[in-house]
Amino acid sequence: MDAREPSVEVLRELAAQQGVAPNEADLEAVLRFLRVLLPQLAELEGLVPRETEP
Amino acid sequence: MSLAALARRLGAGELSPREAVAGCLARIEARDPLLNSFISVRADEALAEAEALERTPERGPLWGVPVAVKDVVDVAGAPTTAGSKILAGNVAVRDADAVVALRAAGAIVLGKLNTHEFAFGATTTSPHFGPARNPWDPERICGGSSGGSGAATAADLVPGTLGTDTAGSIRIPACFCGVTGLRPSIGRVSNRGVVPVAWTFDTVGPIARSAEDCALLLDALAPAAAATAALGGGIRGLRVGVVSALFGEGVDGDVAAAARAALAELEALGAVLEPVEVPLLAEAGTIQQAMMLVEATAAHLPWLRTRLADYGPDVRARLLAGLFLPATTYVTGRRARRLYLAGLGELFGRVDLLAAPAMPVTPPRIGEETVSLDGREVPYRLSLIPFNSPWSLGGLPVASVPCGLVRGLPVGLALAGRPFEEATVLRAAHAFQRVTDWHERRPQAAAAG
Repeated sequence: MDAREPSVEVLRELAAQQGVAPNEADLEAVLRFLRVLLPQLAELEGLVPRETEP
Repeated sequence: MSLAALARRLGAGELSPREAVAGCLARIEARDPLLNSFISVRADEALAEAEALERTPERGPLWGVPVAVKDVVDVAGAPTTAGSKILAGNVAVRDADAVVALRAAGAIVLGKLNTHEFAFGATTTSPHFGPARNPWDPERICGGSSGGSGAATAADLVPGTLGTDTAGSIRIPACFCGVTGLRPSIGRVSNRGVVPVAWTFDTVGPIARSAEDCALLLDALAPAAAATAALGGGIRGLRVGVVSALFGEGVDGDVAAAARAALAELEALGAVLEPVEVPLLAEAGTIQQAMMLVEATAAHLPWLRTRLADYGPDVRARLLAGLFLPATTYVTGRRARRLYLAGLGELFGRVDLLAAPAMPVTPPRIGEETVSLDGREVPYRLSLIPFNSPWSLGGLPVASVPCGLVRGLPVGLALAGRPFEEATVLRAAHAFQRVTDWHERRPQAAAAG
């Protein structure tokens, strides 16, 4: 997981690949949400020992 | 009147099912225009069902007891909107399993209760149906997502309700509305016929006035829980782990003090308190988000493609966020969850229950997105995660038990047990409620009309 904030353009492209077409305001709201979550998820990856299975 | 007391009066013939239903309908008519706790009311159907019930010889433990269910739970012939525009006009063909179970016990379903849109949020301020208002202060939220269930119970519109809980949605409104809520263990109560949020964590459970009421409802939903029979056992020697980290800087000082006072009551009843640390507690919220967001997005993907504009802004943003988390995030979440469960398992070798404040704050005003903690403004949504996700992630049964009033608003104590030990959780809550009256306190809205 890359903790860096993605751009609106990247988000729009990823959404389009899944058949979803959010507008600019939607993507700005998503960015605000991800800004908090992505660093936490990146940190989580580092906490799980390699041998841990799902 | 509590659900248990009403069931006893009905059983003794002091009141008929029709009278019980009519009384609830009158209170709904008088009080709910202010509270907005119901999305739909089955007045004619419920009265007809009450009359039919009076003619049948079978009398289950909930015979004639009026109940209401969150509007994500199917009731045959009634709309299930999930508080959304997308499901407007969606009429259920059959009852959810939970409703089948309640009816089999003799309960009568009065209607469907307000919810955060698609049960995916903690305020119950639907842009489509309007906010459910807290009976203790109608300018404040009920919490969510089962906000209508909390409000309707607190205002005595109905003696028992069903909510659902993925990441706190039973406990939060129970706490904010001053009533008792139980999130059962994952898998204890069937989710069939319930609109999903995230399959791994979704549960259906009761919100009612007392632990005894919740036990009666749970036993109807899942007889194997055998909760009612265990209520009288007392708690002498019960080992209660006090989750120290949740009494610190993330919680309002007065709320923490009320929870500590409740723990002192448990100790006076014979419980043995021990401060504990829950391994990975600080990460539990992130672990749950890693799995929950992706599952919720997967559940909604067809509508995200075709009905995106029909979601409210907050739910739309969270559902869209799940599109951008890679599959590896979900797997990391599952791996981290395994670690977390191992730590919890060890902890439950030493203690029988875990205890913490149910929520870190009192209910914010409708529209407020932040709460004040020690002079810091913190997003409400983020403030509640550490107090709710750890128990959801563990699949634990957990009750929110009223334990005080702070600045005139209810606060609660969370009691979490080992998976499938709902009876222990409710036994402890019942013991507490036998020596306190916080669960009996009523808001002014319950006296109106």
